[in-house]
Amino acid sequence: MKTRIKEYRKKFRVTQEELADKVKVTRQTINALEQGRYNPSLELAYKITKALKQKHIENVFKI
Amino acid sequence: MKKNKKQFVWRYGFALIVILSGLLLTYFNIGNEFLGFSSVGTWLLYVGFLMIAIVTLQTLSNKKRIIDERMEYIASKSGRITFLVIILTSFAIMIIDGIKPITISYSYFMSYFICGIVLVYLISYKILLRYS
Repeated sequence: MKTRIKEYRKKFRVTQEELADKVKVTRQTINALEQGRYNPSLELAYKITKALKQKHIENVFKI
Repeated sequence: MKKNKKQFVWRYGFALIVILSGLLLTYFNIGNEFLGFSSVGTWLLYVGFLMIAIVTLQTLSNKKRIIDERMEYIASKSGRITFLVIILTSFAIMIIDGIKPITISYSYFMSYFICGIVLVYLISYKILLRYS
């Protein structure tokens, strides 16, 4: 799965650690998501979308 | 928080039961030399106090632990790997025992086996967490 997490993180100047704290996962999970090594659950995808101030999940995650 | 408290009560309770069993076995002088200890009772006492020490350290530690969905997913994967390893190892042990009977005592054999299982689980978990 392709994600734009890194892109939005840079845009809003949020570190992996800060994003991880917001969505209550580990920094390693955010790293794995950014590198496309892990496909998140719908709940986590929704939380990350909200944390990155986006309205639609499709803006952040692409299959 | 409430759930954690309940977990610790259960763990302390289990450790106390182990210690109590150890005391009873020692008092009634049941059991012979066991796993390098003078008797089963002594070994149970040792394990019980070790449990209490570990649970106390866990209680005192304020380390914030996050268990997220990826960790749970990897844990289930390493559980599957461990299960496969158990089956293959058991098969290998059966064959080895058929070729040359294993004379090691059951308690020693099982303690090695359990240590091996725990080790396989931990190693596979760490590898998967790092590389998958």
